[in-house]
Amino acid sequence: MASVTELMRALPEPAEDQAGEVVAPHGVPAAGFPATWSLRPVAVGWFRRLRVLGTLQAKIGAAYLFHWLRGWFKDADENKRLLAETHWRTAVRVLDSMTYLRGAVMKAGQMLAAFPDIAPRQFVETLEQLYFRAPPMHWSLIEELVFRELGDDPDNLFAAFDKKAFAAASLGQVHRARLKSGQEVAVKIQYPGIARTIRADIRNLLLFLTPARLSRDWDNTKDQLDDLRMRLERETDYEQEAAMITRMRALFGEDDGIIIPRVIPELSTSRVLTMERAPGVHLQQFLAGNPSQEVRDAFACKIVVAWYRMMYAGRVIYGDMHPGNFLFMDDGRLGVIDFGFMIELDDTLWSLMEGVDRAITTGSYDERIACLKAWNWIGDDPAEQDRLRLAERFVDWQWRSRSDARAFDFGDEADFRRGVDLFVEMVRKRYSRSRPCAPAITRQFFGLRSLLYQLRAKLDMARIAEKEVRAAGWDRSDFARRAEGEA
Amino acid sequence: MRVTAETKTATRQRILEVAQERFAAQGFEATTTRDIAGAARIAVGTLFNYFPTKEAIVESLVGEAYAAAAAKFAKAMDHPVHAAPRSLEEELFAHVAAILRKVNPYRKYLPAVLETALSPLATVADGDAAALRAAHLETVGSIVTRHGRQEALSTVALQMYWTLFTGVLAFWAKDASPRQEDTLALLDQSLAMFVGWLTGQGDTSQGDTSTNPSSGG
Repeated sequence: MASVTELMRALPEPAEDQAGEVVAPHGVPAAGFPATWSLRPVAVGWFRRLRVLGTLQAKIGAAYLFHWLRGWFKDADENKRLLAETHWRTAVRVLDSMTYLRGAVMKAGQMLAAFPDIAPRQFVETLEQLYFRAPPMHWSLIEELVFRELGDDPDNLFAAFDKKAFAAASLGQVHRARLKSGQEVAVKIQYPGIARTIRADIRNLLLFLTPARLSRDWDNTKDQLDDLRMRLERETDYEQEAAMITRMRALFGEDDGIIIPRVIPELSTSRVLTMERAPGVHLQQFLAGNPSQEVRDAFACKIVVAWYRMMYAGRVIYGDMHPGNFLFMDDGRLGVIDFGFMIELDDTLWSLMEGVDRAITTGSYDERIACLKAWNWIGDDPAEQDRLRLAERFVDWQWRSRSDARAFDFGDEADFRRGVDLFVEMVRKRYSRSRPCAPAITRQFFGLRSLLYQLRAKLDMARIAEKEVRAAGWDRSDFARRAEGEA
Repeated sequence: MRVTAETKTATRQRILEVAQERFAAQGFEATTTRDIAGAARIAVGTLFNYFPTKEAIVESLVGEAYAAAAAKFAKAMDHPVHAAPRSLEEELFAHVAAILRKVNPYRKYLPAVLETALSPLATVADGDAAALRAAHLETVGSIVTRHGRQEALSTVALQMYWTLFTGVLAFWAKDASPRQEDTLALLDQSLAMFVGWLTGQGDTSQGDTSTNPSSGG
């Protein structure tokens, strides 16, 4: 794949939209990345951000239009080449605007990257850089943020502190550091004002969705957006994340081979999070080493165990299932990081999750339909039948990996595509009514499937789930009693 | 009775200390010169010998903090750990950040001097504020020179910088965000804008705006 700089050079000249606005911020050379990324301002005013978002949509549309027009004059092979070129250009434009906007818009980019087959590969590969290559805040700003949060300069608080970030994400950027005790740590620092940025993003989203207000499910959509807003806002509070990390760490023992880095509380606040640094490489680097099926399966199994353990024993769903949050270690251990986006299962949700588990383990069609109706508020109205049928096909796809009593092949591209197609069909038909947390759950589920797909994993999910349920001490005997009673 | 220079200095210092306490306790607006004189155990007329207005007291408080910040910044930049290569924008940021740290106790009274002595519209050519402004801009000039610019900054460049800087101060004085984090974002963007404009000028093509060549790092 061409480097991002090459892609930037290949871009057509920045076209102004009708309002005369250009996506690229001032001072950014058109021919390539600016010499200093940090010159790029973060848009903080909601109106300015809204304008950029609107312009971005126009840019993407223009890029595809550009391709379509050129396609009239080219032969088929050339057309294919141009399509790839257009995808690159679009992806780079999106990347460019997202690093500019940061915040929740970058979250949208990460979601797209979780769909390896719904978007062209080049597009996804470029978007994946969002996980690791967001423009860093400069050192003077970091120094000041650390001083304000921890009460002293980084040079006094730490034995060593890397001035350059080694990872950047939507909300923060991460620096390597060493404590005076010699412990290697990672220090996550939040962009100033990101919490208000997120609130502005949600407001923008609501404005874009104005036509949807006419639909009968608007109230439910609004609830789902509120849920997303609440989760993103919660993600900005590193104290909550630190508490979650401590809680989740307690669920795993050494034998599990699953590492959740410890928080250093005396060097953590709501805006700065200091954690032990876990070794290891990210998914793409791991896969580049051409690991065997056995090794890939072992790591995939650990990802699934971590997911089930948190769900069954911790009653929380790990919401950020993307490659940037998993570290593959040489000794076979899996590191799990970033616990900002979590879905707590309160009594209502836990009861619904029990319904899912019951429907899967009993294989009962009636249980499945009851579960779907409860999750999505589907009534007996005949007009709802298509919706119910489609939802049933979707969960059939979702649950098959566990209901089949054998190793399931997650690398089956046709199967993955079927799930994506069903999801897209539901979205197209606007069958989005569900529990407020449904978008977050769907996102993490596709994220998990995407990880397992990229690992080409073959796993016996039923066996892993059973083991985790037993370890959690969850008594399922009432399932059988209820089933007998109903019979 | 003859008042020695030592006594004058002590009285001036006492006025500044009690004024700071009063401003902190009851706010700038609610504090009168009579309150300050009473707390400093001097006559109001004597107070005016030292400071003609309440604003002048704030100006002095800010000026002292400012001078301390400038000295600390200069010392820090000489230290190899702190001087490690910084871009022009980063160094300008570090300079202002050092000032904000020291002036922080007087943040809420800043509007009193921003509207007068520190204002970009101020025409007074002498006094503490003028000296403060001159010293600040001199530091900015030396930072820019360190980054390879050979010519002195033009009057327009200096005025633009000062306008952005006082704008940040005005915003900071009223910033209600946690730990005034919005001010940091505004400062970052203002300096990015200034450096972008400065380096985009035709007559500055010889200036290196990336890293500090003198730092050797």
